[in-house]
Amino acid sequence: MQTASTLCSRCATTYSAAAAARFYSATAATTEASAVASTSPPPATATSPKTPYPYDIRSGLILTRPPLLTRTLHPFENAFFFYQKRLEERLNTPFITSIYFKPDTAAQLDWSIKVQERGGTVAKELGTYHGKSSRAWDDELRVGDPLSARETVLESLLKDAAPRVSDDAEVIAPEDVVPVERPAERVSEADRKGDVRRLDRQMERTLYLVVKGAEGWGFPADVLQDENLHEAAKRVLDQAAGVNMNTWLVGRVPVAHLVQEPVLGADGTVQKKGRKTFFLKGRIMAGQADLKGNPFGYTDFKWLTREELEKELAPEYFKGVRNMMADR
Amino acid sequence: MAKLSSSTTTLLTTPLRPTPSTSSSPSFLRQSLSSPIRHATFIPRPRRPYTFTQLVQLSDGSTYTARTTSPLPLYRAAKDTRNTLLWQPSEKSLRNVELDEAGKLAAFRERFGRVFDAPAAAPVEGEAQAEGATAEGKAEEEKKAAAAAAQQEDVGLNFEDLLAEFKPQDTGALKDSGPKRAPTRRK
Repeated sequence: MQTASTLCSRCATTYSAAAAARFYSATAATTEASAVASTSPPPATATSPKTPYPYDIRSGLILTRPPLLTRTLHPFENAFFFYQKRLEERLNTPFITSIYFKPDTAAQLDWSIKVQERGGTVAKELGTYHGKSSRAWDDELRVGDPLSARETVLESLLKDAAPRVSDDAEVIAPEDVVPVERPAERVSEADRKGDVRRLDRQMERTLYLVVKGAEGWGFPADVLQDENLHEAAKRVLDQAAGVNMNTWLVGRVPVAHLVQEPVLGADGTVQKKGRKTFFLKGRIMAGQADLKGNPFGYTDFKWLTREELEKELAPEYFKGVRNMMADR
Repeated sequence: MAKLSSSTTTLLTTPLRPTPSTSSSPSFLRQSLSSPIRHATFIPRPRRPYTFTQLVQLSDGSTYTARTTSPLPLYRAAKDTRNTLLWQPSEKSLRNVELDEAGKLAAFRERFGRVFDAPAAAPVEGEAQAEGATAEGKAEEEKKAAAAAAQQEDVGLNFEDLLAEFKPQDTGALKDSGPKRAPTRRK
């Protein structure tokens, strides 16, 4: 009864006594047990050839693309960091211009023009604020003030980066100032077009490779053929999505598994074998999936986020794999 | 300084071991009076340099902000993890590929190069050259020997031919390379 309580119901019914774990320290006990088993009619070895294991063991790979960008901050977080910066203005030592700018140089002239435009504030993105003045305590922003937004910070830094003085120390007219090129947006072109095959979509999220087979969308998987799980997973990926990807198998331990029960006849014989699919996790570093000539009959692939997978996959399928997926 | 001197005087005046014959007051009272007073130490505020927010742009165009003492608003990294082969092993443009369209480098290597410079296209030839290279004769001779060795590769290595073609290096020629010149003087 004690051994039965430590095992799960499925293992207790399917595992035979001969296949139980055998330790080096337990050689004597197992030889005794085998001697007993050889003398007495063996129950386990006799039953196993009658009922073959009614499951196909399959191995699959969940290929993921990690997030390329840090997450977008909440407005409250932006406001908090803004407040911290203004607090820093009050506590630190004042900026000493002569350390960084030699007198009577173009750089110094450029600097003084920009500081004057900001109303004497040295900091670039804090608005007009003097940390050492008597009104320094009045540093809180009103609700809805866009000054703490990421966009405003970026704008003010880029505005400051544009040179205002030429190399010959001549002040450039405001209309002739060449603005600095803006960095690329967080939303890529694939997002705007709704292209789910490109890898540069949803750059703040983890993407998962799903393929469309005969049974609908799912992760690529195949039956084990005299190999280990990780070997099979690598083979499945190479066969299904081509070798033109720089991938990395994170571990040899499955991160998710799906069980499809077998169909049994009235007399207990197996009509249709069930499936036990174990999924390993992989990362893609470069390249792209290519389903051309794959032996599994996959017709289409997508790179989807967790929420999109929930819509695309069957509910039982998603329930089996959802716990390996990160929040982002 | 005053604190230090007072403490040293108290140390000097107090006897090492209290003896009941010399002391008139109780021992606990004498100890409390003579012990040095520890004033609170003034801890200066840590120097906190002025910091700016700086936009750092990596070579692939991605940006992030950082707090730094530099007044530069935008820092563009020339070399970072995004254009280094160690971090981008699958980036073909970073590979150090020799541009030799005119074949000048190959010609130079053919004339003056050694075995390890030879192109890896012909492994059998390279193997044969490795044996013939001990002679270090003229390039033409070496090539002929290598070709001969490559031809005999199918039959098996003919060591007799190789030994017959072996020429020991004329070390005397290297030594007698003319009279020693006086070192050029520089001013």
